Amino acid sequence: MDFSLTPDQELLRETARKVLERECPPALVRAHIDDAAAYAPLWRHLSEFTPLGAGPATDLCLFLAETGYAAAPGPFLATALFAALTGGDGNAIGTVALVDDPTMRFVLETDRVERIAFVTPGPGLAVVDADAVTARFVATVDFSRRLFEVEVPQLDARPLAPAEYAHWRDRAHACMAAEMVGTARRIFDMSLSYAKARKQFDVPIGSFQAIQHKLADMSLALERATAAVQYAAMTVDAGDRDRTRAGHVAKAAAGEAARRILKDGIQIHGGIGYTWEHDLHLFLRRATADEYLLGTRGWHLDQLAAALIDG
Amino acid sequence: MQLAWSPEDEAFRVELIEFLDAHTPEQMHTGYDFQDVHDEHDLVPPWLRQWQATLFDHGWMVPGYPPELGGRNCSPVQTLIYLETLASRRLLRSGHFPGYAIVAPSLLEFGNEAQKQLVPAAIRGDTIWCIGMSEPDAGSDLAGLQTRAELRDDHFVVNGQKVWTSYAMIAQKCFCYVRTDPTLPKHKGISLLILDVDSPGIDIRPLRHINGTAGFAEVFFTDVVVPRENLVGGLNGGWAITQGSLAHERAGLWVEGVARFEQTVEGLVQLARAQGRADDPIVRRKIAEGYELAASLRALGYKGFASFAQGSSAPEHSYMKMAMSEASKAAFELGMEIAGPLAPVTDPRLSAATSRFVYGFFMSFANTIAGGSSEIQRNIIAQRVLGLPRA
Repeated sequence: MDFSLTPDQELLRETARKVLERECPPALVRAHIDDAAAYAPLWRHLSEFTPLGAGPATDLCLFLAETGYAAAPGPFLATALFAALTGGDGNAIGTVALVDDPTMRFVLETDRVERIAFVTPGPGLAVVDADAVTARFVATVDFSRRLFEVEVPQLDARPLAPAEYAHWRDRAHACMAAEMVGTARRIFDMSLSYAKARKQFDVPIGSFQAIQHKLADMSLALERATAAVQYAAMTVDAGDRDRTRAGHVAKAAAGEAARRILKDGIQIHGGIGYTWEHDLHLFLRRATADEYLLGTRGWHLDQLAAALIDG
Repeated sequence: MQLAWSPEDEAFRVELIEFLDAHTPEQMHTGYDFQDVHDEHDLVPPWLRQWQATLFDHGWMVPGYPPELGGRNCSPVQTLIYLETLASRRLLRSGHFPGYAIVAPSLLEFGNEAQKQLVPAAIRGDTIWCIGMSEPDAGSDLAGLQTRAELRDDHFVVNGQKVWTSYAMIAQKCFCYVRTDPTLPKHKGISLLILDVDSPGIDIRPLRHINGTAGFAEVFFTDVVVPRENLVGGLNGGWAITQGSLAHERAGLWVEGVARFEQTVEGLVQLARAQGRADDPIVRRKIAEGYELAASLRALGYKGFASFAQGSSAPEHSYMKMAMSEASKAAFELGMEIAGPLAPVTDPRLSAATSRFVYGFFMSFANTIAGGSSEIQRNIIAQRVLGLPRA
């Protein structure tokens, strides 16, 4: 099992970092709180990368880690999930609606996409124009994503092979986890920098063992979730039989990492981390809400338990 | 990033499997995720000594080394394949790790030509080594060690005490860290000596573990004479070697550690079924948590290996010991919870399926202490990996 990045993957990651650092500063995420159109200048850049959604999961997840790191608004993830389900080239801007699925009650970014892919119980698949669908915006704590409650129209669904849908879900779990781990890494980096810079009792608070051990535990959770996501993406690309478990492990590990890091990250920041003015809450909000997209840690653990104990 | 290794590397795996199928001793297939050794003479039974020699003679003991050192000059990837294959089959290489895992690489890096002659026997297991590190007043603060070695012309005279010295009761040689200059700052006055354990003035008193099994010892030194040529590296140059030897120990252990932990989780599934707890939602989630932890740590280990193989330092290895030792403790606790009233029972009429968990739980305390406690691991991660300042 080779985790080395190819030179192309290194380049992709560097490019993603540069684009998002330049085009998605916290000021843009903050502007998006009151102005949904604030994502437009960023999207002009991100939309060039949507073909990644139709490519290998390993590459896509590297990119998603960076959109998560920046808490980027816009339909990038939605479009990637849409492309994997509908088999397009990634250029069609879309989102996915899972009908009667408790892990995905709401639909991502419907007001910013051209097409919506409905997965009906069965499973079946129907792709419709977004204009033809009635959707109501659902406010959440996360200002960086937009969720919608969608009225399911009359659908002419074609059967979707259960194995094909299962493969899509495995990939979707890895993708969701990749973004979430990216956001967790942002909170971790902010907390580590703060621990090095903030002085109390005349020394950096990061010299105190109580803070050091928190950060060591946070970093372990982060690193193992990062590795779990990469492994899950590799199994998806290889069609490996471990991919379903690997997808559950990735999202569960991402959930554990994000929850630990956001809680301890705010604790390390002290009072300033609890303010609206500080950027920390932009990422806290994203990481908190991501837990409830495509299955919580508990749901994924229950799927693993079923595979381990009943399977 | 890809799952499969190259065809050459997969061919290496096939060759290894053919060797193992032909040569693995029957006695190997006993308890693996815990040890149950009640007599110090059981630590390295004859069949296990023979197995280590067989591995050496066929170039399968440390395959990355050349044939004269029990290897076959294989690549780092092939070494990883070797370790994962052994672990998946629950195979030990040896009953005593200090010689091949710590002494050999340290002598190859720091020893003179005469000392390097000791390496083949250390790897083949013909010589059993112990490592003299911890002392009553030097545990986590290893650099505070006080065992004194005075240089007198052509020899050292050693006085002091080591403790928690694994395998001292059966060892022929001791890799012993001593203070050679008490006037220097503590890290700078330490040297490494090779001691013959049967030298006059060495007194070994076995210490039993909390579970009653044999394991380590106290070692007392009274005016022990050690030839000057037994100094490894420079005079007062021992600290650099301690850093090296612990790194050797940690770099190779994760594959085996993860495999043992995964096997413990599989054991939990079987136990839950056998005890009628397989439908208990709390038990199910906890077992799944163990699986999730094992799978993500395995991925982290491979990820660290990838950066190691490319020549970068691999901080991932620093995480593995801490995480696995704490995780396995929790897994054994879960086994006890599932076993319920049978958890503490050791009566063999009742406890065949359950006693491994309480024994494992007791054993697991060693793993969060030995080789650098979990607290020291966290300090290392914070300071060396994350770059936080020392207090």
